[in-house]
Amino acid sequence: MEWRHRNLLDIDELTAPEIEFVLQTALPMKDLLTRPIKKLPTLRGKSIALMFYENSTRTRTSFETAGKILGADVTNFSVAQSSVNKGESLYDTAKTLQAMNVDLVVIRHASSGAAAFLAEQLKAGVINGGDGAHAHPTQALLDFFTLKERLGGIAGKKIVIVGDILHSRVARSNVLGLKKLGAEVVLVGPPTLLPPEMGYLGVKTSYDLDRELPGADAVMGLRLQLERQERGLFPSVREYHQLYGLTSERLAKTGKDTILLHPGPINRGVEISSELADSACSMIEEQVTNGVAVRMALIYLLMGGGPSRVLD
Amino acid sequence: MFWIKDAHLLDPAQGISGRGSLLVRADRILKVTVGEELTAATVLTLLGCSTLEEVTQVDGAGKYLFPGLVDAHVHLREPGQEEKEEIRSGARAAVRGGFTSILAMANTQPVIDTRALVEFVRLEGERAGKARVYPVAAVTKGMTGKELTEMVELKAGGAVAFSDDGKGIQNAETFRLALEYAKLTGCPVISHCEEAKLAGAGAMRKGEHSARLGLKGIPASAESVMVARDALLAGETGGRLHIAHVSTKESVQVIRMAKAAGVDLTAEVNPHHLLFTDEDVSLTNTSHKVNPPLPSRADQEALLEGLLDGTLDLLATDHAPHTWEEKTKPFAEAPFGINGLETALAAVWQELVVKGKLTPERLIELWAVNPARRFGLVGGTLAEGAPADLVLFDPEWRELVTAETRESKAHNTPFLGQELQGFPVMVWVGGKLVVKDRKVVG
Repeated sequence: MEWRHRNLLDIDELTAPEIEFVLQTALPMKDLLTRPIKKLPTLRGKSIALMFYENSTRTRTSFETAGKILGADVTNFSVAQSSVNKGESLYDTAKTLQAMNVDLVVIRHASSGAAAFLAEQLKAGVINGGDGAHAHPTQALLDFFTLKERLGGIAGKKIVIVGDILHSRVARSNVLGLKKLGAEVVLVGPPTLLPPEMGYLGVKTSYDLDRELPGADAVMGLRLQLERQERGLFPSVREYHQLYGLTSERLAKTGKDTILLHPGPINRGVEISSELADSACSMIEEQVTNGVAVRMALIYLLMGGGPSRVLD
Repeated sequence: MFWIKDAHLLDPAQGISGRGSLLVRADRILKVTVGEELTAATVLTLLGCSTLEEVTQVDGAGKYLFPGLVDAHVHLREPGQEEKEEIRSGARAAVRGGFTSILAMANTQPVIDTRALVEFVRLEGERAGKARVYPVAAVTKGMTGKELTEMVELKAGGAVAFSDDGKGIQNAETFRLALEYAKLTGCPVISHCEEAKLAGAGAMRKGEHSARLGLKGIPASAESVMVARDALLAGETGGRLHIAHVSTKESVQVIRMAKAAGVDLTAEVNPHHLLFTDEDVSLTNTSHKVNPPLPSRADQEALLEGLLDGTLDLLATDHAPHTWEEKTKPFAEAPFGINGLETALAAVWQELVVKGKLTPERLIELWAVNPARRFGLVGGTLAEGAPADLVLFDPEWRELVTAETRESKAHNTPFLGQELQGFPVMVWVGGKLVVKDRKVVG
């Protein structure tokens, strides 16, 4: 396959075969992660800048690890986490990066569209590491990798995504991709976090988790931002957990060997019980490993590596 | 003195629409004829001249001649934010766009809430010598929504209306008292209807498109509930209310009901709400970021219907200049506002008049006659004896919108780099030529 992308801003830019291609490319990358010497010379001399404007240990470290294994020089730009408006504008940051001739930029930002904004200004490729409530394509890709590996495929599988759908870039990117890959997706959450306009995604939405669980091959929990309670979006953690909290008991209602995904970090006892998070069906740690592999594959493809020369 | 010949005269105030001539002596319209061309002898007699050489003749063939437009909603940013616009640059941009009178909103820094500041705006407008600049003074001191301003004093300084435009007055009692107290002045209170808690930190209209883009949405109710509140308060108090930038179908319904009940209420629509919808919003084009946000398709249809059936009374640009730096940001962080004075008429002409959705007559009624009447301004008509505030409009003139040709200091328009059709080619304010061949004179 001819890889034609320089950026990855959202999952909808990729066709189903392109998504499959990234996942395919990630397979040997994952093997590599288990080797004693985890280092390739593939991207030696290339530079990657990580611009994380929001707190994120997991995604940032994942990109950093992925880039370093491939041999690229990875620079973490320390960005003030408190306020995006403080100091240098994103436009000037882009100019600075341009002047440094960075080859690839990964950005995480609280504003929807920040990655697209940067891509417009830069010659370098841009990976969206999460922008506002808009998109998180690499999370979606690693979720697809996990689903495919564990379920043997995605087409025809029933995936239930539960939680704060309204504010979730993970849910948006997952739904867009899962639809392309032929999965049946159901979104579940309380009306305040799953308002009617989310119908734009064109998948089933429901307020009743227990009714949607039967037949689910995978359930994906989303992190609940606890400050949403202060804004009145849900009345209490107690009631939220009663209605939407994922437990082993509840997951048994699927009638299948259902796997559990969560983008992390988890709120134990809120959207997910501790015993379920630590159980065998939980993919949470596996997702972290897969995240590195998928990001390696993506970085490799975006930086112009030939399709079949990955590990030669 | 001059003689504009053979133009298509439009003056809904007098029911005029047809080929004719217009004579101007000094600063006033002297004679208007429709259907019959004036003879040279008549012209000389009327103007009191001996030869035609003393009379400037303007060929109006193929063009419309209508009263200078009156824009009831303009942000000139001076004092305090001159990097965005100045009174002078705004007044120049106005005439270039066909507006001979503009109402300058009070949300400057400092807020226009004292007589000295009102007079500053008025005098700067006079010094600019282009469009007539009418100050709108704040309703509350410092626009804090608490204490009323000295409205009588402000009117004496030149204010023609009161508004805290830029934000809604959240306290209903304050707004009720404003409607009552403004009766001392006879001036309308202009309400920027936006319920702050509902609007939240939204960046565009709440709906499927905001959900798709992951942008926080502003529900239509953020506007409509306050339109309803203010209409009820105007009915109860008998105050004079003008609703700024109506953008939802529910607002239109409420205004229709209020008017049927006899409330002293008028309402305006901004061209961009008629020309774009929330579907046009993209994450990387902040020139579509405006407040109230671009409406849904159904809202847009209701707005046009309201303009046609008389529920909505005027068009107004809500000219809101912002610098390139401010707008060159991710969508959620960029300021709200569209720069409108120099493109609004052409855009409405091209998209609504040419396409048959709005007649030229109704256009002039909405943008000249009605605003002049509502705010008690001179102009807005071609009546004999009225000030010669005139626009000679070429419906065929095509022009590329570029930063270089513009008079406004800012260029935050969705039309930048696009060609529009239908522009004022000559404009007079008080008989003085201020635009000639699309260029501002002087």
